Amino acid sequence: MPVVNEPSERMRKFKNRGKDAAAMRRQRVEVNIELRKAKKDEQILKRRSISIVSMEKSPTPGEDKNVIIQLSLEEIVKAVNGNNPELQLQATQAARRMLSRQKDPPLNQIIELGIIPRLVEFLTRADSAPLQFEAAWALTNIASGTSEHTRAVVEGGAIPAFIALLSSPHMHISEQSVWALGNIAGDGPLYRDALINCNVIPPLLALVSPVTPIGFLRNITWTLSNLCRNKNPYPPLDAVKKMLPVLTCLMEHEDKEILADSCWAVSYLTDGSNDRIQIVVDTGILPRLVELMGGPELIIMTPALRAIGNVVTGTDEQTQAAIDAGVLVILPLLLRHAKPTIQKEAAWTLSNIAAGPCQQIQQLITFRLLPPLVELLDKGDFKAQKEAVWAVANFTTGGTVEQVVELVRSGVLKPLLNLLLAKDSKTILVILDTISNLFLAAEKLGETERLCLLVEELDGLEKIEALQTHDNNMVYRAALNIIEKYFSGEENPDLQPGTDQDGLYNFSVEKQDFDF
Amino acid sequence: MELSDANLQTLTEYLKKTLDPDPAIRRPAEKFLESVEGSQNYPLLLLTLLEKSQENVIKVCASVTFKNYIKRNWRIVEDEPNKICESDRIAIKANIVPLMLSSPEQIQKQLSDAISIIGREDFPQKWPDLLTEMVNRFQSGDFHVINGVLRTAHSLFKRYRHEFKSNELWTEIKLVLDAFALPLTNLFKATIELCSTHANDASALKVLFSSLVLIAKLFYSLNFQDLPEFFEDNMETWMTNFHTLLTLDNKLLQTDDEEEAGLLELLKSQICDNAALYAQKYDEEFQPYLPRFVTAIWNLLVTTGQEVKYDLLVSNAIQFLASVCERPHYKHLFEDQNTLTSICEKVIVPNMEFRAADEEAFEDNSEEYIRRDLEGSDIDTRRRAACDLVRGLCKFFEGPVTGIFSGYVNSMLQEYAKNPSVNWKHKDAAIYLVTSLASKAQTQKHGITKANELVNLTEFFVNHILPDLKSPSVNEFPVLKADGIKYIMIFRSQVPKEQLLLSIPLLINHLQAESIVVHTYAAHALERLFTVRGTNNTILITAAEMAPFVEVLLTNLFKALTLPGSSENEYIMKAIMRSFSLLQESIIPYIPSVITQLTQKLLAVSKNPSKPHFNHYMFESICLSIRITCKANPDAVGSFEEALFMVFTEILQNDVQEFIPYVFQVMSLLLEMHKNEIPSSYMALFPHLLQPVLWERTGNIPPLVRLLQAYLERGANTIASAAADKIPGLLGVFQKLIASKANDHQGFYLLNSIIEHMPPESVDQYRKQIFILLFQRLQNSKTTKFIKSFLVFINLYCIKYGALALQEIFDSIQPKMFGMVLEKIIIPEIQKVSGQVEKKICAVGITKILTECPPMMDTEYTKLWTPLLQALIGLFELPEDDTIPDEEHFIDIEDTPGYQTAFSQLAFAGKKEHDPVGQMVNNPRIHLAQSLHKLSTACPGRVPSMLSTSLNAEALQYLQGYLQAASVTLL
Repeated sequence: MPVVNEPSERMRKFKNRGKDAAAMRRQRVEVNIELRKAKKDEQILKRRSISIVSMEKSPTPGEDKNVIIQLSLEEIVKAVNGNNPELQLQATQAARRMLSRQKDPPLNQIIELGIIPRLVEFLTRADSAPLQFEAAWALTNIASGTSEHTRAVVEGGAIPAFIALLSSPHMHISEQSVWALGNIAGDGPLYRDALINCNVIPPLLALVSPVTPIGFLRNITWTLSNLCRNKNPYPPLDAVKKMLPVLTCLMEHEDKEILADSCWAVSYLTDGSNDRIQIVVDTGILPRLVELMGGPELIIMTPALRAIGNVVTGTDEQTQAAIDAGVLVILPLLLRHAKPTIQKEAAWTLSNIAAGPCQQIQQLITFRLLPPLVELLDKGDFKAQKEAVWAVANFTTGGTVEQVVELVRSGVLKPLLNLLLAKDSKTILVILDTISNLFLAAEKLGETERLCLLVEELDGLEKIEALQTHDNNMVYRAALNIIEKYFSGEENPDLQPGTDQDGLYNFSVEKQDFDF
Repeated sequence: MELSDANLQTLTEYLKKTLDPDPAIRRPAEKFLESVEGSQNYPLLLLTLLEKSQENVIKVCASVTFKNYIKRNWRIVEDEPNKICESDRIAIKANIVPLMLSSPEQIQKQLSDAISIIGREDFPQKWPDLLTEMVNRFQSGDFHVINGVLRTAHSLFKRYRHEFKSNELWTEIKLVLDAFALPLTNLFKATIELCSTHANDASALKVLFSSLVLIAKLFYSLNFQDLPEFFEDNMETWMTNFHTLLTLDNKLLQTDDEEEAGLLELLKSQICDNAALYAQKYDEEFQPYLPRFVTAIWNLLVTTGQEVKYDLLVSNAIQFLASVCERPHYKHLFEDQNTLTSICEKVIVPNMEFRAADEEAFEDNSEEYIRRDLEGSDIDTRRRAACDLVRGLCKFFEGPVTGIFSGYVNSMLQEYAKNPSVNWKHKDAAIYLVTSLASKAQTQKHGITKANELVNLTEFFVNHILPDLKSPSVNEFPVLKADGIKYIMIFRSQVPKEQLLLSIPLLINHLQAESIVVHTYAAHALERLFTVRGTNNTILITAAEMAPFVEVLLTNLFKALTLPGSSENEYIMKAIMRSFSLLQESIIPYIPSVITQLTQKLLAVSKNPSKPHFNHYMFESICLSIRITCKANPDAVGSFEEALFMVFTEILQNDVQEFIPYVFQVMSLLLEMHKNEIPSSYMALFPHLLQPVLWERTGNIPPLVRLLQAYLERGANTIASAAADKIPGLLGVFQKLIASKANDHQGFYLLNSIIEHMPPESVDQYRKQIFILLFQRLQNSKTTKFIKSFLVFINLYCIKYGALALQEIFDSIQPKMFGMVLEKIIIPEIQKVSGQVEKKICAVGITKILTECPPMMDTEYTKLWTPLLQALIGLFELPEDDTIPDEEHFIDIEDTPGYQTAFSQLAFAGKKEHDPVGQMVNNPRIHLAQSLHKLSTACPGRVPSMLSTSLNAEALQYLQGYLQAASVTLL
């Protein structure tokens, strides 16, 4: 329960004041629960299906363009289970057509027909490339459904069959398998690792070459990204190590989608513990990531920024590597980006750099990060403002007195105090902690009085006073504390029991052994 | 307890008795109920009674008793027995919702509260059916039932508004959303439809609108943490309907009551909150709807009346506009000159007008009026909201807004000029408008600190404020007088000094005004003016400049205290204090009369102290009178004692708790004024000061310690000779204080004074015990604060009695004790000592240990000699070690029972800092060098060899610096 956890959380922050930066870095919060709608541009799809519409422009080889045979479900079952190769192909094609409908493809009905094992079997029919292709397509689309659907395909034995098909002499079949495997890998860590254990990576990587067509390469990149995806557990280290060199190559490509998906892959790999981050840092890819983060394409900028944001949750050295790669030059642009989600991710990244040692905080000042931070705090979208508050809080926790003075000089106080009206208890509490930090700095400079006046002038005092009636216990105590300490000038001694006898206190002691 | 009729009967009788006014009957009944509440079936018996009892009073009583029972017992505390048996819990949860819904409103409310208490513990895991059970009732069509459900839901969900985000919380919210959001939306739509079906049925509308209010509140709770997917998808439905409701009016829903907000106002107010929530947190998604809401809310403001019942709605609505107009991407909604003019004219100006309710408060409830107007507890008022809107608009449109308002101000002033006695409210509004327009930043201490440059404050002051205050009749147009005085007060940092000086006699004159607000404001303005600082940070208005007004100022201030309603007016008393402090010796001629009036006042209020601020400033004024007078004429102290002791005695005898700490402080001040031996009047009081009852009160401890210190400074010899039998009692106080982590430093203050001032032989027999006591604290519960004080004390002891005496007494308590304290306490902790005098005491004490304690040179303690020297050099040269062990961070806050401020320190009774080694040692570094030199001459060769073996290089370098500065060398 938050009420129980918070005090110790706060205690830890308090004790570690300025001393344990690692504890202040906030990992991408693993909320399993989302109330929000998932935003399309914030992530790539876990699964992709192929609909007829998307295929129209490039008619598939092997498809009979003239004869379109309509079969009922019963006819399909019969033909698929029969021995007539002609009918098998027709029926598989018919099933694939149904599954490629844009609206409500009949995934469940097809699964219930029990033909998946048979379709998997068709994958191995090297004698009939068209049949292999149709079966692969149909299974790809089934695997693109829900977890249940994917499971049906996997339990039908499709994994080894698809992996074998990666090396098919027919490029369109091998591409179809890449796609199917991407869908299976995207389901979650379990199937991802099942694929990796079946040794999917070497044949997949072997498909990448200078002559691989762009469309194919896009599919491979996406599938690779799904093989990097998901935590609990992370993908095995040696698999990651195999994929990374290829991913770093792909990140030099010119195609937007390939760049975007390879950045997503790296963002997954950095979303974890520091040793995972280190593997990525060691590839030397950070400068390129920073470059991509500063580019004009939102679909690339988003995952690149995520990846860099993840890197700076790591150690001071890893954060420094990101700084050396130039992240502080790009961040101001992103803090001012029109898109709220970019502002938010950028501010989150900044907040974690601000959680570092004062040398890194100094670089925030040198690279003029404070003006955009203050602007964001003042006018940004609320999600971004929340992160900006964290950035300021970390800055005041780890910064030197001079650095904190510089922060105040940048005009942070007014927007910060305004955010005490925010409709979010945690944000309010973080601001109150920040105010306490500012007062600690002011005390060291003998400027408490001036800060008091400044806070009052900016209407902060009345906001803090109003928070003394806040429903959240932690918030009200924090507010009360500030008022008591800096705005009341009165003392609070407390009460202790004592001994008395004969009217006056009895002065007497019994000796004991001392050992300090 | 069986669920039997007999038990129901018994319970009924006891419940009835708990309502009896006679405590002799009531208390035993309450006791009985408490004694049986642990029994199985007890809550079920209560539920049966509240449902089936024949007597309504018993039903209600049972429901209240039930709710309190749930409140006390439902929560299962770890390591404590479960106070309600499991079968009762299950039965309660199974029955309470239908029971609540079928009960009359009075009982429904109690049960609804009980449900939310249970829900807080059990929902959702241990009460999975609750939501479905509630949602199913939405279908009932019975809005009494539906409102019961909604009310319960509101009490369950409202915590989402203030709790921190967590997986647990969000899991719960998600569960609630999944089950509740769609039915709630459908209910919302259905209710709105029913509202139009029943548009002509007043009683139906009332019920339906109560539902809508609750639904709007639930919307707020459910949308607070984040924008749920469901509500994003259904934003159109909700926002369109909210928008329609904002613009809706129905005569049947209008209430006659002028004060109490009706359902329509409550609903619209909540909708403003909902819109503000979306605008603040979900701007991206809400953007398409926002302009519509701005227009609707603005129209709402234009059409809403001046009655008090609309206040919350209006201030919420204005605050919404104020928060939106500051955001850059909505700037365009306000940019147009016509829009701005219309907002100024129709929203801001009308809400700044002085209303009948304000006038009433001004006359009849002036304390409340002053608090709102002067101290800013006006957050929810219309005027304040309008003021915030002005400031919001000025962010982007300062020029145009100032222009528009200047026109208004002029026309309002012209209206006033035409017929002041009828149109004075126009001038009031004009002054308020100028004030809110001009003020950009404000503090209590300095008034307005940043002003709008487009407003000419001085010109307005000369043309429109001064004339009012110059009018010979101080009682005419009191509101305008108060406005004018307030103007001076808040613009005191902006208006030129010569103008302020002009206004001083006018303010003094207005101290005589009959209106409480006016004379209070006059006193407050004077008090504030006396604190204004000029360019070089000196007081702006000097005592010399005040010289012509001293007599009339003092006379009027004290006279103002006799005006009806102001006999304990804290503003006036504070002005008295501030005047004394400013005027200093020029008040001396008036002191005899002043002190008489103050003591009479003191006597009067001590009968029933009720105004803490007034009392505080009164004692401050007394202290100032004493200090100022005795500084010029020390002998005058006797006359103060004569004037005050009678009242003081009465206060002490009557045990007026609020005043006792003050009395001790004033007595300390008086006692310290004596240059000779302590007067006998004080000695007579001495035994009484040691009474435990005084020391049991937290607030008494600091001033009593202070007073005992004064006794010791002035009368140690007298105590030793004439009150030696009281020494154990005095030490008993020390023991009491030292036992407390919170008060141990006070104990050390006392102990230090005892050691410093008492003749050694008088405390000889107690010295060992004192140390044992300190060692016990050190052993059992040492804190950083304790160690700091302990270090200062033992060093002071060493200075007073010598290092050898220190070593001997330690080792007499336990062999090798001295070494242990050196090694475990002094050397590792000395760096923590803070404060200049404290550090000096420690430096001199340690120097003595190093250089005047033979065992340090020729016993096993020798090995500690260099580490101790190194620690001393560290004390000189290293930054203070202000780390505090983790577990101590919150001692002061967490261990304090409550936050009550029991002790109020008087600023003007302040104690001078005392340096017991002042004359002896000027520069402790030089002193160390000289002492080392002396030691080395006594035993040549030893000191350099000890230094060279283990003192680190850096420390050695510092030490050489000291030796050089002292021009000595070590032999």
